[in-house]
Amino acid sequence: MNLEVQLPRGLRLQNPIIAASGTFGFGPEYASFVDIGALGAVSVKGVSPEPWPGNPPPRVWETPLGLLNSIGLQNHGVEVFCHQDLPFLRDTGTKVIVNIIGHTVEEYQRVAERLNAEKGVDALEVNISCPNIKEGGMSFGQEPDQAFAVVQAVRRVTDLPMMVKLSPNVTYPTVIAQAVEAAGADMISAINTVMGLAIDVKRRRPALGGITGGLSGPAVKPVALRIVYEVAQAVDIPIIGMGGINSALDVVEFLMAGAQAVMVGTVTFQYPNRMQEIIEALPAVLRSLQLNSLSETVGLALPGRVPLPPASEDAYE
Amino acid sequence: MVNKEVGGLAEMVRGRVVKRHEPAPGHVELWIHSPVLAKAIPGQFVHVATGGMLRRPISFSRLDHSAGTAAILFQIVGDGTRWLASVQEGVELDLMGPLGRGFAMPDPRHPWCLVGGGVGIPPLLAAATAWTPFLNEPPTVVLGARESALLLLEEEFRALGAAVEVTTDDGSQGQRGTVVGPLAHWLAKHPTGQVYACGPTPMLGAVARASQGQSNVWLALEQRMGCGVGACLACVVLANGQNGPVYRRVCTDGPVFAAEELIFE
Repeated sequence: MNLEVQLPRGLRLQNPIIAASGTFGFGPEYASFVDIGALGAVSVKGVSPEPWPGNPPPRVWETPLGLLNSIGLQNHGVEVFCHQDLPFLRDTGTKVIVNIIGHTVEEYQRVAERLNAEKGVDALEVNISCPNIKEGGMSFGQEPDQAFAVVQAVRRVTDLPMMVKLSPNVTYPTVIAQAVEAAGADMISAINTVMGLAIDVKRRRPALGGITGGLSGPAVKPVALRIVYEVAQAVDIPIIGMGGINSALDVVEFLMAGAQAVMVGTVTFQYPNRMQEIIEALPAVLRSLQLNSLSETVGLALPGRVPLPPASEDAYE
Repeated sequence: MVNKEVGGLAEMVRGRVVKRHEPAPGHVELWIHSPVLAKAIPGQFVHVATGGMLRRPISFSRLDHSAGTAAILFQIVGDGTRWLASVQEGVELDLMGPLGRGFAMPDPRHPWCLVGGGVGIPPLLAAATAWTPFLNEPPTVVLGARESALLLLEEEFRALGAAVEVTTDDGSQGQRGTVVGPLAHWLAKHPTGQVYACGPTPMLGAVARASQGQSNVWLALEQRMGCGVGACLACVVLANGQNGPVYRRVCTDGPVFAAEELIFE
């Protein structure tokens, strides 16, 4: 089965499985465990114009079927990324999506402009939804006006395919989605982590150094599916879905909810090879559901689509 | 000084538990058949799948190249280690390793002191076992525990010929107090000595302060960890960078750091 995905501005993925930003480092870290060239794409950890220090530890905490993190977007800045990490990623043959972050609109622009000068960047993911940064980060993703402003500013300086990563921590994700579409986003990636808190009872205080954190893993999958399903009906641009994907069947759920491709993250920490396993399993899982291509699967569960009942139920009478 | 030690090449491996032992209340040691892990450098760790969202990083207590076995000794502190403690002989574990930068081989020309507190003691046994045969004289070992019943691996160190000093918080065995007393005493007598330490973070901070000005002091750290390969930046510690404090990764920049690299608050 052909697993290729055609996205806007000529972004073509060999399959719909993308390593999610923040879970796959800047590229080389997983090289001895994962055939990076086999992935649809890699979205690197958030890159800012200057190095960011990140939040105090502890930075991760396990919760039931979830992972709460407060990394705080630690990264060594766009210059080091371009010299140290990008050449490696370019050589793997996978598509490279650079997740960009900033404290101000101007900082987002600076990262995007700097990446214009580099070969091997296939797309940008504008991160307006990290819950672990006080200024910038999620605040841009909270208000439609601010989301519009930052996306429009980045659009002015880049012709690269651009996706915007949405926050689940808003009342109406669809409103933010429509704002970024109007500002020139080519795609939407959703969702970022869900804001949460854990208490370390032995220390009698919040478990994470950053106090609150972002929840990921299977615990957030229903939240993610709900938002993908709503946003898919609110905008015309493609959606990259994510949130707790552990299996090929999870991928099919996101496709049916309206996503054209997906990102896989938290499960990689436990099983680095899981993305490859999903890519290998996906054709058989689709066929078992009487589906013969990715494209016919996308959006099948959306309202107005007449779903084909499985043959066994057809034969009931 | 920065740890440049590079360990064996990490792999995803499955390893069968060939022996299980409870050396102290709430502590379990598992011997695992895995030729890949057996080639680890003391101080490196294995990332063990335990059914939760994250693996558990555990350092090696014993490494036996010829038998192809590696042992891990851990304390039951939460769901992951509770599950791992329930594992019996014959069970196959899902493992990733060996990971991280281990200890460098000690310089045989200088005296060597190993300082371990609680469940930090096991990786020091792997180090002492690997390198004591190459030294001019056996190491001094300072072992600390809350109480006598929780003191780990004392007999194993004695069997290597080490001079073992014991401290307990409650005085139930050896000197009452912490490992810092005997260490300070040893350092005063051995100004060119090299120190390898592992234990709770406050203990490591005290070791760093007691050995200030000394250049051959190596600390093996513990931190809540995510990926184990340097990708997620979860398991960081505060260290001295070129332009002020920076967070460095325990999983790939450590877990063994030079004491002078680290900042203890």
